[in-house]
Amino acid sequence: MCVGLAAKIISVKDGVAMVDCTGAKREISAELLDDLEPGDYVMVHAGCAIAKITDDDKSETEKVLKENLA
Amino acid sequence: MTSINSTADMRNFLETYDGPSVRIMEVCGTHTHEIFRQGIRRFLSPKINLISGPGCPVCVTPAAYIDEAVYLALEKGCTLTTFGDLVRVPGNVKSLQQARAEGGKVKIVYSPIDAEKYAKDHPEEQVVFLSVGFETTTPSDVIAVKNAVRDGLDNFSLLTANKTMPGAYEAMASSTDAYLYPGHVHAIIGTKLCRDLAERGVSGTIAGFTGDELLAALAVTVKNVSEGKPFFVNAYPRVVTDEGSPAAVALVDKFMKSCDAEWRGIGVIPDSGVELRDEYAAYDARKKYSVPKMEFERKTACKCGIVLQGKILPSECPLFGKACNPDHPVGACMVSDEGACSAFYMYGGQS
Ligand code: SF4
Repeated sequence: MCVGLAAKIISVKDGVAMVDCTGAKREISAELLDDLEPGDYVMVHAGCAIAKITDDDKSETEKVLKENLA
Repeated sequence: MTSINSTADMRNFLETYDGPSVRIMEVCGTHTHEIFRQGIRRFLSPKINLISGPGCPVCVTPAAYIDEAVYLALEKGCTLTTFGDLVRVPGNVKSLQQARAEGGKVKIVYSPIDAEKYAKDHPEEQVVFLSVGFETTTPSDVIAVKNAVRDGLDNFSLLTANKTMPGAYEAMASSTDAYLYPGHVHAIIGTKLCRDLAERGVSGTIAGFTGDELLAALAVTVKNVSEGKPFFVNAYPRVVTDEGSPAAVALVDKFMKSCDAEWRGIGVIPDSGVELRDEYAAYDARKKYSVPKMEFERKTACKCGIVLQGKILPSECPLFGKACNPDHPVGACMVSDEGACSAFYMYGGQS
């Protein structure tokens, strides 16, 4: 039940966003995040966007490894 | 040590690690599931022990909570709305699935926000959402209540069993050398707590969920534990920031207050849950329907409590795979895909 899903914002209006979640369209609450724009990626939990995702996991992993294991 | 900069390097490091033995507790059910699904346990060095901790909300929901929900469905005629996983969890007397077979109304929804919409569209029904989960789901529960206030509904309420992680980290600290902290919980609450814990000697790494994110978090954790100093690393910075989500924390705080909570198989952990504030008692199903206290605790041979603390592997439970299997779960850990016993069963019990 706890699975978070990455989704792409299609449109936002009055704290509600339409997202594309690997092909499936869904309405979610966007009220926790300010200034979301179409094209942004968010992490969705239980119908609510909880965080904006800023990067892909590749460059993130490179950075984590560089800082901790290089 | 040669430097580690690729997936193959990380894998090789985790496979050939031969330092002091390391216990890592993954606190998140999704981590448990992903680690199994990606076959990571299969190649880990025997010096690295992964413990599947109490981070699956379904697994730590006490049987008495299911009894309360059954009471609301069968005695009060409420329509229960819930995440699907909860339906098969055994209560002391029966599961929600059995209650449904006896005429109880149980509806599976995608989110609490959808449950509120259902209540709005069905004013003739008394709708209760089964509000279980950690910091990640509580904001949605609160948004549902906020929407119910906005819509002037008097037929929507929550049966809360919401839990918070900090108390559990403290309570379980002696069971592990380091935590793999649940990425999405910390997307909400930020990293301050982890830094404070490191200062008190409790170590951990915030981990993401993709293959590389998990391998990186594990490699960083093993290396740091082997060096013997308490540490904290945020290995999921694309989602988790230091401050987390102040908007989510403030919203939850407006509607909810801290309370002691019972964790199935572990017991009551002080200040490890949240419930609706008194101002919102009208949306608290327990108060609204005067749900009696469910004292009765049926004794079963289920060992979930010590499985969740890493004291035994699921396969060491005498019921595992015999009396207890996903089609007939005896304990909650066998119900959800995120449960330790269910993951062990599905992926062939590799340890
Ligand atoms: S195998 Fe079943 S009975 Fe045994 S601990 Fe796991 S859930 Fe409980």
